[in-house]
Amino acid sequence: MVAYTLRRLIALVPVLLFVSFVTFGLVRLAPGDPVLIVLGGKKVDPATAEVLRQQFGLIGDPFSQYVAWLGRALQGDLGESYRLRQDVVSLISERLPLTLQLIGLSMLIAVAVAIPLGVIQAHRRNSVIDYAGSLLALIGLSSPVYFTAIIGVLVFAVGLGWLPAFGSGDDPLSRIHHLILPAVALALGTIALTSRMTRSAMLEALSSDYIEAARAKGLPEQTILVKHALRNALIPVVTVTSLQVGFLLVGSVLVETTLGLGGLGSLITDAIQNRDYPVIQATVLLLTVAFSLLNLATDLFYGVIDPRIRYR
Amino acid sequence: MTANVVRAPRTGFLSGARRSPLAKNRAAIAGLVILLPIILATVAPALLTGIQPNAQDLSASLQFPSGEHLLGTNKLGRDVWARLVYGAQPTLLGAFVVVIISGLIGIPLGLFAGYYGGRVEAVIMRVLDALLAFPALLLAILVVATFGRGLGTVVVALGVIYVPAMARLIRSVTLVQRSLAYVDAGRALGFSDGRILFRHILPNLVAAVVVQSTIDLAYAILDIAALSFLGLGQQPPDPDWGSMLSDGRAYLLQNAWPAISAGFAIMLAVVSFNLVGDGLRSQLDPRERER
Repeated sequence: MVAYTLRRLIALVPVLLFVSFVTFGLVRLAPGDPVLIVLGGKKVDPATAEVLRQQFGLIGDPFSQYVAWLGRALQGDLGESYRLRQDVVSLISERLPLTLQLIGLSMLIAVAVAIPLGVIQAHRRNSVIDYAGSLLALIGLSSPVYFTAIIGVLVFAVGLGWLPAFGSGDDPLSRIHHLILPAVALALGTIALTSRMTRSAMLEALSSDYIEAARAKGLPEQTILVKHALRNALIPVVTVTSLQVGFLLVGSVLVETTLGLGGLGSLITDAIQNRDYPVIQATVLLLTVAFSLLNLATDLFYGVIDPRIRYR
Repeated sequence: MTANVVRAPRTGFLSGARRSPLAKNRAAIAGLVILLPIILATVAPALLTGIQPNAQDLSASLQFPSGEHLLGTNKLGRDVWARLVYGAQPTLLGAFVVVIISGLIGIPLGLFAGYYGGRVEAVIMRVLDALLAFPALLLAILVVATFGRGLGTVVVALGVIYVPAMARLIRSVTLVQRSLAYVDAGRALGFSDGRILFRHILPNLVAAVVVQSTIDLAYAILDIAALSFLGLGQQPPDPDWGSMLSDGRAYLLQNAWPAISAGFAIMLAVVSFNLVGDGLRSQLDPRERER
């Protein structure tokens, strides 16, 4: 297991190099002199421009710039924001907690709703609950997160006044209060995919011989459903759910922009508006690394939930 | 035995007892029905509205629905229904082009990888896997932010980003086809690889391509709308669903109609392609048909 994990981590190195190269290269391909962006298009004397180039690591040919940038990135220095003139790492670390809380809460809601829903749907196949679940899944898959969030604001904030419409709250309790709406909006897509997956995996598990055997032994239905069927159905469910984290990352960008939450997502969209390339570069890189590591973690997690899988 | 014990088998939309192909087909037909007006708006918007989408009337700002303005007006007094109708084109045509680009690149790559195997396959799949390391929409944001906003950039970027999924699928089905007798027969007759690949194997992959393309269309609509919601797609003043939703957000409390209409349009378009895609899959994929 340890050796396997190590091997997978090593295999990740060229991928991440490629990712960093693409991220860096794309940003360098962008038209326009970065110095002009820094100064907001004002004219500068050559000496000042030179100092700025030095400061932002824009000296030398593109490849050596890349190597220097990568070297600094590996030491935890992701450069400086053109616009805010602030260290990108500190910018990100200010914003990261909110995004992580949003994604975490969203995942929690998704799993807490989707897995029981899928189990009930499979157990009571073709019942009203089953159809309602399928319809919910269809809507969840098809409604853009920012639209769901806006509907949520209109219904629960403006209409019913239960939840705050915008902002992220200060103390932990009001933070949760503020995050419920965006988290639910974000969770809907994950609920859709996860409940569909749970339903079909449960249906497959429930039609197998060992369930027949469990029924013949006279085990209580709940034990059969949860201990026997669900445990076997869980593998594809875990895959689908954890792959969703990547979509949640991207979805959080949209939800944060929609609801004015000051997390990583709105950092990216602000950076795009202002052509603040170091910030775009760093956040995309960071999120992509996180995405890759999550995918790896998913693979490794199989071994934990399915004792039949042994990594060599 | 009392009468109420014997129940007629349930039929109807979404009921799909045992998820039979027929029931799935009903859902697919429902999808097609929703799709019809959307396609009409894409192809011939002038048939659905006589109002120019960019015509301003600042004296009629943020009006609620009326006989004159079916869905009211936006901040600049533009007719929301007209903008909704004309806004179908960038999103729908854009999504079609995304899928076509991903097919034009992804299908040959998948065919070569699956047919030749070995080093060709290793190189192609390694590069595509690396592309998959990026969360799709995030890469699209990065590319569009770099090469300049606008619908054209969005469509090309998404088209390339959709290549890995298409190529992977084609590769996996090509692997199955490669081992079938007709391929050996073709080789024995001295056909060139190109002829075997494109004239013999490719026609057998049509079902898989159609299903994947339909599902991809749904995703492409969502992604195009998301990018234009972020201000990276279709630029003002031209109408587009994503940017309508984004504009409408600013005066949501005064008049929610512009935002809601655009949101529903996106959702319905995606729902319809998802329904049609699911229906096609259950018709074309024999494994699905048994369920």
